[in-house]
Amino acid sequence: MAENETNIFEENQEPEIPANAGRTVLRLWKTMGRQQIRLIIVSVSVILYTVLSVAAPVYSAGIVDLLWREIREALRGEDVFRVTWDHGGREIMILLLIYTATGILYTFQSFLMASFAERLSLELRTRIGEKLNRLPLSFYDDHKTGEVLSRATNDLDKMAEVMQTGLLKLFTAVGMVVGSLIMMFRFHIGLTLIFLIFTLLSMLSTKLFAARTLRYAMRRQQAVSRVTGQVEEAYSGRNVIKAFNQEENSRNAMKEAVEELADTSRKADFMMNAVNPFIRLVNRAGQAVIAVSAGKLLLDGVLTVGTFQAFFQYVYQASEPLTEAAYMINSLQSSIASVERIFRLLDEKEIRPEPDRGKVRREQNETGTDNTGMELQENEGGWQKAGGRGQVRFEHVRFGYAPNHILMKDISFTAEPGRKIAVVGSTGAGKTTLINLLMRFYEVNGGRILLDGRNTGNMSYDALRRNFGMVLQDTWLFDGTVAENIAYGKPDASREEIVAAAKAARADFFIRTLPKGYDTVLSGDAENISAGQRQLLTIARVFLCDPPILILDEATSSVDTRTEMEISRAMKDLMKNRTSFVIAHRLSTIVDADLILVMQNGNIIEQGSHRELLDAGGAYADLYNSQFA
Amino acid sequence: MKIILHFLKPYRKLCVFTILAMLLDVAGGLVVPRLTSDMINIGIGSGSLDYMIRKGMAMLAVTLLAGGGALLGSWLCADLSAKIGRDMRNAVYDRSLLFSAHDFERFGTGSMITRTLNDINVIQQSVVWCIQMVLPVPAVCVMGIGMAFAIDRAMGFLLIGVTVLIIVLAVLVTSRASAIFSRLQRLLDRMNVVLRENLTGVRVIRAFRKEKDEEKRMRRSFEDYARTSVSANLLFAGLESTAFFVINICIVAILWLGGDRIGAGYMKIGDITALTEYSILIMFYIIMAQMVIILLPRARVCIQRIREILETEPEIRDGAERMGDHIAGTEPVAAFRHVSFRFPDADENALTDLDFVCRRGETTAVIGGTGCGKSTVARLLLRFHDVSGGCITVNGKDVRTISQKELRSHIAYVPQKAWLFSGTIADNLRYGKEDATEEEMRRILSVAQADFVSALANGLDAHVAQGGTNFSGGQKQRLSIARALMKRADLYIFDDSFSALDFKTDAALRKALKGEVSDAAVLIIAQRINTILNADQIIVLDEGRIAGKGTHEELMKNCPVYQEIAASQMKGGE
Repeated sequence: MAENETNIFEENQEPEIPANAGRTVLRLWKTMGRQQIRLIIVSVSVILYTVLSVAAPVYSAGIVDLLWREIREALRGEDVFRVTWDHGGREIMILLLIYTATGILYTFQSFLMASFAERLSLELRTRIGEKLNRLPLSFYDDHKTGEVLSRATNDLDKMAEVMQTGLLKLFTAVGMVVGSLIMMFRFHIGLTLIFLIFTLLSMLSTKLFAARTLRYAMRRQQAVSRVTGQVEEAYSGRNVIKAFNQEENSRNAMKEAVEELADTSRKADFMMNAVNPFIRLVNRAGQAVIAVSAGKLLLDGVLTVGTFQAFFQYVYQASEPLTEAAYMINSLQSSIASVERIFRLLDEKEIRPEPDRGKVRREQNETGTDNTGMELQENEGGWQKAGGRGQVRFEHVRFGYAPNHILMKDISFTAEPGRKIAVVGSTGAGKTTLINLLMRFYEVNGGRILLDGRNTGNMSYDALRRNFGMVLQDTWLFDGTVAENIAYGKPDASREEIVAAAKAARADFFIRTLPKGYDTVLSGDAENISAGQRQLLTIARVFLCDPPILILDEATSSVDTRTEMEISRAMKDLMKNRTSFVIAHRLSTIVDADLILVMQNGNIIEQGSHRELLDAGGAYADLYNSQFA
Repeated sequence: MKIILHFLKPYRKLCVFTILAMLLDVAGGLVVPRLTSDMINIGIGSGSLDYMIRKGMAMLAVTLLAGGGALLGSWLCADLSAKIGRDMRNAVYDRSLLFSAHDFERFGTGSMITRTLNDINVIQQSVVWCIQMVLPVPAVCVMGIGMAFAIDRAMGFLLIGVTVLIIVLAVLVTSRASAIFSRLQRLLDRMNVVLRENLTGVRVIRAFRKEKDEEKRMRRSFEDYARTSVSANLLFAGLESTAFFVINICIVAILWLGGDRIGAGYMKIGDITALTEYSILIMFYIIMAQMVIILLPRARVCIQRIREILETEPEIRDGAERMGDHIAGTEPVAAFRHVSFRFPDADENALTDLDFVCRRGETTAVIGGTGCGKSTVARLLLRFHDVSGGCITVNGKDVRTISQKELRSHIAYVPQKAWLFSGTIADNLRYGKEDATEEEMRRILSVAQADFVSALANGLDAHVAQGGTNFSGGQKQRLSIARALMKRADLYIFDDSFSALDFKTDAALRKALKGEVSDAAVLIIAQRINTILNADQIIVLDEGRIAGKGTHEELMKNCPVYQEIAASQMKGGE
C-alpha cells in the first residue's frame, strides 16, 4: 500500500509573498501557449455570468412586486389570483431563462478551467521532469530531495487548485461585490452603510482569528515534531527497547508526547473550527439590524416587498466574497510564490548540452535502444576501439566543486586496459570525485580525461557512459520487483540471464528466501531486505550489463569479507580484459590491484603496486599497517 | 467503523452534547429566515413598528443562541477529536510493543510511523467533518421541510421534491467520485515515488543512461495523474452546476406556485423569502456533506490500516512458567536444539538444524557470510522470532514457556546496528541499569573503550541525537556495548558489534571484556576472524547450516568454509 507523504498539519502557515508577482504571472501567461485562448473565453464567460447574476435579484424583485400588486388587486375584487402566462408567468419564465443562462455559463467556465489548470500543471510538471535529467550533479548535492519533490507536487498542486477554483472565484467575486454594492446603494444608502459596517466588523474578526490561529498552529507544530521524533525513535529502536525491557518507560514517554499533542491540537482545531461560526454570527447580527431597519422602511413604504427581498439577496452575494477576501488573496499570493519557485527550478543552470553529433547519435540510438552496452560496443565498429579497449588517462586534471575552491590541482595517471585500479585515501580525499569526473557527472576545470585516446569531454554522455558499469556506496533500487531492478540496465533480459547475474553476485540464495522470490516487490525504502542484500542486487545489475569498465565505489562496504571475496572472485572473471576502478576502505580487497592511487586532499600522493608502495614506506604503508597490525 | 465506535465509546456524553450544539446552530439558521419573512409580512400589513422591533430582537437572540451553539460545538468537536486521536495513538503504540520482529516488519518502520501519525490524523479530521457536516444534514432536511409544511402543504411537498432530487444527485456523484478519488490518491503516491526515485537515483540513472526511459516513466505517471484529476474536477464542477441549477428551478417554482397559493390566501407574500432560504440551506448542507463523504474512503483506508495493527495478534506470546533465580551451574546458559527457522512466506529455511550450547564462562562465536543467518541466531535467542523447528533453551527453560520480560532480563544485547536514544549518554547507559551510579558508568565506559566520553564537554551528560547520529560509527558501537555491559546478565550477545571498530580497539575491548563477563556466557556474532580467534567454540554458518564447529585451530584444519573466510581476511598479511 502506498504511503501518504504529505503532512496534513501544514495548514495555517504564514502567507508567502511572491518576490515579483507581475513578472511571474506574465511568464505563466506565456507558458500557457495555445491555452491562452481558453483563459480569454473564460474571462468573457465570467463577465457575462457576473452581469446576469447581479441582474437576477432586481428582476425577481420586479416579479414579486408585480405578483403582490396583482394579488392585492385580485383580493380587492374578491377574486382568486392565479399565475398565468399573462399574469406574472411570462416574467417568471424570463427569470428561469436568466437562471438557465447563468447555470450554463457557470458550468462552461468551470469545465474549461478544470482541464485548463490540469493541462498547465502537466506541462510544467513534465518540464520539471525533463529538467531533472539536465541538472548538474552539483544541484543534487546542494538541494534536499524533499525540497525538489515538493516543487513538482505540492507547489504545482497549489497552483492548479488556485487556477481552477480560486481564480474563477476571484473573478466572479470582484464583479459580484461591485455589482451588488451598486445595486444596494441604488435601493437604499443607509441600509447599505449598515451592511458595510458589519462587513468591516467580520473582516476585522477574521484578521484577529488568523493571528491567534497561527500562534496555536505553531504550538501544535512543535508538539507534532515532538511526537514524530518520539515515534520514529521508538519504532527504529524497538529491538533495543525490548532487549532492555524498557517497554514501560517508552510507553510513558509516548503517552506524554501524545497528550501534549492532544492539548495543543484541541486549541488549534478550535480556533480553526470557530472562525466561520463567529463570522456568521457577526453577519447575522448585521442582518437582524438591517431587517429591522428595512422593515421600518417597508412600513413607511420606501421599500417594496420585492426590493426588500432583493436587498437581502445582494447582502448574501456581497458578504461572502468580502469576508473571504483575505483568504482568497493569501492563497493567490502563495500560489504565485509557488509558481515562482517552480520557475526558479526550471531556470537552474543546466549541464553542458551534448556535443552536436546529431546524425551519428540518432543512428546509434535507433540500433541501440534495446541492446546492451556491450552489443552496442560491437555494433559501433572501429572508432571506439581504436586505442585498445578501456584505457583511461587523466592528464593534468584540475577540478573544484566551486570554481573558487579547487580540490584537485593536477591529477595524472593512466589506467591500462584490463587492469585493476584501486583508489585509497581518507574520507574527503577526492576518491569519489575522481569517479564523478570520469563519468562526467562533473566537468573538469582544466586538463582532460581520455578514454581510449578520445577526450571524454567531447563525447556524448551516452557514448561515454555505456562503457561503464557502476556500483555505488549508496544503493539505489526502485519501486519494482527484484527481477526488474536487476534488469535495470538491460530491460529485455530473460529470466535466465537475470538469475545468472544474481547467482554471479551471490544474491540468488537470499532472493529465493524472499516471499515471492524474484517477483518480490521492493517498495519504498525496501525494508524487506538488508543493506548488504541491496548492495548484492546492485552488483547483480552491473553483472547483467557486462560493461567494459567497472567502477566499484565502496561497493562491498556493507558486504562481509567472505561474500566480498566470492564477489571479487566472480568479478575477476568479469574483469578479464576490462579496466576496473575500485574504491575501498578495506585494503584487503585491493592488495592485488595493478595500480593503487593514494589520494590526499584531492591529489594523488602515491601511485604504484601494493609491493612497490609497501617498500616505499610512505602513506600507503602506514595505512596498511594500521589496518593489519 | 467498529473501531471508530470503540474509540468514541468513552466519550458518549461528549458526542451527544456536540451534536446537540450543532443542532442548535442548524435550527438557528432556519429560524432567522422565518423571522425575516414575518417582518416582511408585518411591513406590508398593518403591523406596528413596535412589533417589528420585537421580531428584530427575537432575531438577534436566535442569532446569538445559534452562534453560541456553533462555537460550543466547535470546541466540543476539537476536544473529541483530540481525545480520540490521543487514545488511538496510545493504543497503536501499546500494540506495537507486543509485536514480534516479524509482526512489526510486516508493516515496516516507515509504514508504522505513517500510520501512527498521518493515518490517525486523517481519521480525526474525518470524524470532525462527519459531526460538523454530515450529521446535521438529516436535521436540516427534516426541520426545513417541516417548517415549509407549517407555511403551506403544497410548499412542503415542493421542498420534499427538491431535497430528494439533490440527494439523488449527490449520491450519484459520490458513488462515482469515491472510485475516482481513491485512484487519484494512488496515482499521487505513484507520482511521488517515481519523482523521489529520480531524485535519489540520479547517479545510477545517468550511469545506466536511462534518462530517456525515466522521463517516459515520469511522464506516464504525470499524465495518469492529470487525467484523473481532470475527471475528478469535472465531476465536482458538474455537481456544483447542477445543484445551483436545481435551486434556481426551485426558486422559480416557489414564485409560480407560491403566487397561486398566495392568491388563494393560503400563505403570505413574505413567506417566499423563507421558503427560498430553506431550500438554499438544504442544498448547501447536502453539498457540503457530499464533499466530506467523497473524502471518507481515504479515511476508511486509514481506519483499515489502524485496524490491521490493532487486530494483529502478536505472533509471540508469553509463557506462564518462571525461570527462577538459581540455576544449576552445569546447565548451559543457552542451548540450540536442532533449531530451524524459516521466515513466514519464504521458500527456504534461513536456518536449518542448528545445534550448539553456550556455557557459563565460555565464549561462543558465530561466523559466516552476509545472509547466512548469523543475526537471526541472536534474534531467536531474544525471542524476536520463534523457531520453526527444534527449541532454544535459556537456563534450561524453553524460551517459549517463560515471559519475554523475564527471558530478556537474563540477556544483555548489543545489536548489529548501534542505536542510541536521544537524551544524554547517561540516559542511554541507564537502559542497562536504571539506578547506575556515575562511578559504575565511568568504569563500564572504560571497559567498552569509550573513554572518549570523559573528553566531551558535558561528559556523561553529553547530548545524544536521535539514533546517536552525532557520534561516529565506532563511538556509537562502543556506547552501545557499554549500555549492554551495564546490565548484569547470564548471556551477553554481541551481534557483529566489533565490525565498526579498528583492530586495535577491537583487541583492547575483548581483553577488557574478559574480566567483566567471566562468569557469564558470551555469544559473539562476527565477520572478522581476528575478533573470534580465541573463542572457546566457533560455529561456522553457511547458507543457514552449520558448516563447522570447533576452535580456530581445529577449523583451520578441517573446515573449508572457515579456511576460505580466513584466507579472504589474512590475504596480503603474509
